[in-house]
Amino acid sequence: MTEPTRDYKRLSPLTPVVRGSIFLLAVLGTAWRDLSRGELGFFAIVLLAVLILGATYGTASWLRTKYWIAGDELRVDTGVISRQSRRIRIDRLQGVDIVQPFVARLFGLAELKMDVAGGGKAEGSLAFLPLAEAQELKEVLLARRDAGKAEPLPEGEAAPPPQPERVLGRLDLGVLVMSLLLSGEFIATAVAVVAFVGVAGLAGSIGAAGGILPVAAGFGLVVVRRLSGFYNFTVSDTATGLQVRRGLLELNSQTIALGRVQGVVVSEPLLWRPFGWARLDVSVAGAQSGTSDDQKVQSTTVFPVGPRDQIRGLAQHVLRGLDLDLVPLTPPPPRSKWLAPISRLFLAAGHDGRLVVSQSGMLNRKTMAVPHRRVQSLRLYQGPLQRRLRLADIHVDSPPGPVRVRLALRDAATARAVLENLADQARAARAR
Amino acid sequence: MMLRGSIGHVDELFAPPGNEWQPVSPKLATMRRLVLLVLGLVVTALVAVLLAVATSALATVGWVVLAALLLAWSFLMIGRNARSWAYAERDEDLYIKHGVLFRRLVSVPYGRMQYVDVQAGPLDQAFKIANVHLHTASPSTTARIPGLNAEEAARLRDRLTSLGEAQAAGL
Repeated sequence: MTEPTRDYKRLSPLTPVVRGSIFLLAVLGTAWRDLSRGELGFFAIVLLAVLILGATYGTASWLRTKYWIAGDELRVDTGVISRQSRRIRIDRLQGVDIVQPFVARLFGLAELKMDVAGGGKAEGSLAFLPLAEAQELKEVLLARRDAGKAEPLPEGEAAPPPQPERVLGRLDLGVLVMSLLLSGEFIATAVAVVAFVGVAGLAGSIGAAGGILPVAAGFGLVVVRRLSGFYNFTVSDTATGLQVRRGLLELNSQTIALGRVQGVVVSEPLLWRPFGWARLDVSVAGAQSGTSDDQKVQSTTVFPVGPRDQIRGLAQHVLRGLDLDLVPLTPPPPRSKWLAPISRLFLAAGHDGRLVVSQSGMLNRKTMAVPHRRVQSLRLYQGPLQRRLRLADIHVDSPPGPVRVRLALRDAATARAVLENLADQARAARAR
Repeated sequence: MMLRGSIGHVDELFAPPGNEWQPVSPKLATMRRLVLLVLGLVVTALVAVLLAVATSALATVGWVVLAALLLAWSFLMIGRNARSWAYAERDEDLYIKHGVLFRRLVSVPYGRMQYVDVQAGPLDQAFKIANVHLHTASPSTTARIPGLNAEEAARLRDRLTSLGEAQAAGL
């Protein structure tokens, strides 16, 4: 590789302050009484020592952390005691996300997270940079990556002027609040609170119903987290893909490369249907940056709640003009009632020349669609009861993500022909 | 239990895709039967000794008869299951089917293949057979062929790898 230029950059000097701020608050909280009384308790002294050590380490770590772009790599040197040098190939970058935790936001700082092909979790991160610098570096990295893909990397060329971004959708706060009030979690919270009051009232003491409180708090927390996570959700079209911005306390910015979208899910929970609301999620190859399930789901959300028409338009945009509502869906044959008397009423599936679509779910109707050119493999399954009823399932395999198209309980007489047809379509679409 | 009726006729749902199904090595059934007999006899004997000590001779004899029937039934089932495994190499994709009661068929385009595993445990090696496992970007792709002759497994791996490279399609 090329000679490393010494033209390196550092993280923001406020980094140790942001990193240590949570700890600092804990220290102040604990030692406050001692300090205010003017006596330094033993505990406070220990904490103070840890704080000084932490500050020293943080500063040293900041001094030792440098990053620079050399050739087609982003290099990051870190480490106080044992030194590390990480090289991230720019042409392998899947995505670059900007995250602003609450404390960092107070200081105008941001963390840059880099997703690398093949790696399960986020490969590299730079924390923290001034927000403007993080955005600039993101643009530079993405422009370099795309330039490297189109033609041999033009050396030392500046990033092309960023295309003006077009806002495709902005989440209405009222709709978000309403949708959360109509979510299963909120109703569970409400039921738990009513049960708490009821039991407490009947028993005449609060203690009797104490067990219900943690349940209510748990569900309540989910609702609050969603509200803060989806607050001010904005999706816009940029040169590098679909840009998603969201967050109340912690700001998140994520770019979804349209070329990597594997499929879409439109969810319509029962309680949203009277209002005609839906939610749009996508599967993106290599976008598994989240560690918990919750994050994983959120990281692929294109729009958390909106009118069905808007969701349809967004899905069309993500699928590059393909409209999943135009695909004719058929229900499973009536004899499937012996296997799935209720859920069969909500099953439907079908395909046209571009998309394969399946629908399922009574309480949360999910319509999933995968373009033929994104199909990985196809599977046929038939259990003994299905054989008796001349039924079979066809599975369409996709990379990990929320999309899982399954043509369930189809007529066995045609299932094999459907599978062959899907395989042919996928082959033709790959060749296109 | 055995659904004899549905086995005789050819099931169009799992018919060969154009060309014939390639069966796996009969050594797969032999190996599995060996494992079954060894484990089955050991367990049967241990339980029989315990029963003989703790209860009556009648219970012991009953157990041995029951275990023998179970073993014989499993012995037959292993043969049917092993015979159900088959694959077909086509120009652009690989078909694999298996299962007697629960039937499965998978169609994997070579262009979607990310890598191929050939794996053989100590017992497989003793029988000179191997498992070939095809991986795509989807973890739900279950394209595995057990009990291939070692040379056939190596040939299939090489063919799949070269076809996969030639027809590779981007995600």
